[in-house]
Amino acid sequence: MTSVFRYHGLRVEIAGRAVVQSLDLAIAPGECVALVGESGSGKSQSWMAPFGLSPGIASGEAWLCGEALVGRDEADRSRLRARHVGFVFQQPLTSLSPHLTIAAHLEEAFTQAGGARPDRATLAAALSEVGIDQPQDRLRQFPHRLSGGQRQRVMIAMAIAHQPALLIADEPTTALDATLRREVMAMLTNLCRKRGMAMLLISHDLASVADAADRLIIMRQGEMVEQGPTRDVIAHPGSAYGRDLLAAAPRLDGPAPHRPAIGALLLEARDIAVSFPHPGWRRGRLQAVDQATLTVHEGEALAIVGGSGSGKSTLARAIARLGPCDAGEVSWRGLPLPPRDRIRPAERAGFQPVFQDPVASLDPRWRVADIIAEPARHLGSGVSQQHILAAMAECDLEPMLADRRPHELSGGQAQRVAIARALITDPAMLILDEATSALDVLVAGRVLDLLARLQRERQLALLMITHDLAVARRLCHRILVMDHGRIIEQGDTESLIRSPQTDITRQLVAASH
Amino acid sequence: MIGLVLRRLLASIPTLLAVILLSFVLMRFAPGSPFDGERPLDPETRAALDAAYGLDQPIPVQLGRYLLHLAHGDFGPSLVYRDFTVTDLIHSGLPVSLTIGGLALISALGGGIMFGLMAVLRPDGPLDRGLMLSMTLLTALPTFVTGPVLALVFALWLGWLPVAGWAAGAPRYLVLPVLALALPSMGAVAKLTRAGLAQVMEQDHIRAARARGKTGWRLISHHALRPALLPVVSYAGPAAAGLLTGAVVIETVFALPGLGRYVVQGALNRDYPLVLGVVTLYAALIILFNLLADILYGWLDPRVRG
Repeated sequence: MTSVFRYHGLRVEIAGRAVVQSLDLAIAPGECVALVGESGSGKSQSWMAPFGLSPGIASGEAWLCGEALVGRDEADRSRLRARHVGFVFQQPLTSLSPHLTIAAHLEEAFTQAGGARPDRATLAAALSEVGIDQPQDRLRQFPHRLSGGQRQRVMIAMAIAHQPALLIADEPTTALDATLRREVMAMLTNLCRKRGMAMLLISHDLASVADAADRLIIMRQGEMVEQGPTRDVIAHPGSAYGRDLLAAAPRLDGPAPHRPAIGALLLEARDIAVSFPHPGWRRGRLQAVDQATLTVHEGEALAIVGGSGSGKSTLARAIARLGPCDAGEVSWRGLPLPPRDRIRPAERAGFQPVFQDPVASLDPRWRVADIIAEPARHLGSGVSQQHILAAMAECDLEPMLADRRPHELSGGQAQRVAIARALITDPAMLILDEATSALDVLVAGRVLDLLARLQRERQLALLMITHDLAVARRLCHRILVMDHGRIIEQGDTESLIRSPQTDITRQLVAASH
Repeated sequence: MIGLVLRRLLASIPTLLAVILLSFVLMRFAPGSPFDGERPLDPETRAALDAAYGLDQPIPVQLGRYLLHLAHGDFGPSLVYRDFTVTDLIHSGLPVSLTIGGLALISALGGGIMFGLMAVLRPDGPLDRGLMLSMTLLTALPTFVTGPVLALVFALWLGWLPVAGWAAGAPRYLVLPVLALALPSMGAVAKLTRAGLAQVMEQDHIRAARARGKTGWRLISHHALRPALLPVVSYAGPAAAGLLTGAVVIETVFALPGLGRYVVQGALNRDYPLVLGVVTLYAALIILFNLLADILYGWLDPRVRG
């Protein structure tokens, strides 16, 4: 059988440095192949460069539907892209043009390979096919009115509108919350089967593509380390790296991890409510958090779990006095905590945040040592060089990193710096807002190990915001599930996962298996 | 959107009142009076003049009276141009300023956006570098240099266009002042367009559009231009008000009977109602153009509308 898409000895260079070396690949019609590897493994460059979508320079052979991709000019490559391939990108929030309606986007996709201008009914049917409700209304809307999941569905509808022979999906579900990941991945697989489309899936998360892919290619540092039928690779990974990747993702089954003992009551939040004005020209307010009550004890890890938009981050920020809080009381070690504009440094030092995007939460112009020292300078009594180095060592950061700046760090290192910064005031509690979800599976696993160790050694309480129950289970004693700003279910981690009481929780459990 | 416009117009009333109040008080604290000339007036005449124009009243009373008249659309009499009301003067000067300023605004936006687009088609190419250098020069050169130079070259040396004058708005007389007024703004618009486009071209939705086979001009015009013009619009709002209400230098260089000279002469002569009238008009125009800019914002980027 001839291949839809084939590489032979593909090499990609950026600024003279090889980021992909001698990659071979062949995708038959209707087949799904997954390229798996951590960030920096060259997996994205290996498809972007031959299509002219990155500054990388491709050499070797790359064939798409019998036509060569390497050595063609931009006009040829753009014609080949438009005719034979549909692309789905990782960033559903930003991959649609903000000033064009959904209908305009779809029209462009339908006509990109020279097809006739579709009528309204065709466009609506395309949206229905990818599981978007009220398609007629959606067509008139602009992208920002749709949720992340809906936007990714629109991207998929656009990618298949011109009946391409090949679908390339680069981390198509990574930016989505856990419940949606499963649905969207299942939909991609179904669409490919139904239409006999070949698919190239790119992901850092082996587990997420295992159900969809017929064959796996594992890449590391630009080279292929392993490949074969998915079932074989998963059953008997041939390389140590493949075994690591498989073991890295946290799971809901398996023995419960050991969790440290719990002490006295540390934090109590009662009837927290937060509302925001509607964005833009619309009037009225949006109730983001409503009547939320929770407690955290010394050494206890509490997870707030929910889909995006459920209000979990807003609640955590209100409690930590980092964001607005309209109503409700928070007490810390039995004493009321003043609102955020009146809170004293000494009170802040007790609980410190770690945010999702490790690089964006560090000042790009500062040195690592200064970043780590800053909270102590503002909130504590000052800090010594030994103190900084000790915090770095505790977070497995080598002393030589102290003089680096954030852009010189990897994602995992940057998040360790953020954790070291949070620890410098010797807090009793960390607030982790999706602290591992922007990281690769392997790196996230190591950061979770670090947090587990800190939890054990320091008797540190954790308030952990996540959309992923499996991540929550790795560390947390109790789980609290939020939906539409309310706490709808809570309980001990193992029993909540074993016997979920609400549909939302059941979906979250199903999504993490 | 009608709600937004109404809300914004209502909210602009206190702003306008604050501008009027501040200008009123500031002017009264400045030394001198409209009736100070070469020769001091005798006290009786002076008192009679003050009484006739109400200048003998306490300042709050004067302010109250001014506002009351203003509410009826009456800017009051000019204290220096006798026999003319401020409304008359604005009536005669505003059309000239609006014509020159409006044409300059259109040329600045049109030319600026066009040059910005031309520059960004081949980033860092010779055209890009050459254009951006000349645009920087244009923004740097003051109008009292470009105005006379243009007049010198095109009117005196080449003799293509008249040196100065208004001639009831004959097109030949408009070219040079409009050009001189437009050039600095055009430079700024071109640089903002270029920078905005360069930034948008790096974004994810552009890569997604390229993946769908869009390239070159079609990619820019369809997917990049509108979001890229946001900084241009926030610049153009206040700049438009400035261009339209009279450019003193240009009006002086080209001997145009516009509004700008009334501001300067009014301030020098302590012609309180004239200065207040022009300042109020200027403030109202700025508020209006900022509102227009916000509405344009909503069109360029629907996220602003929510």
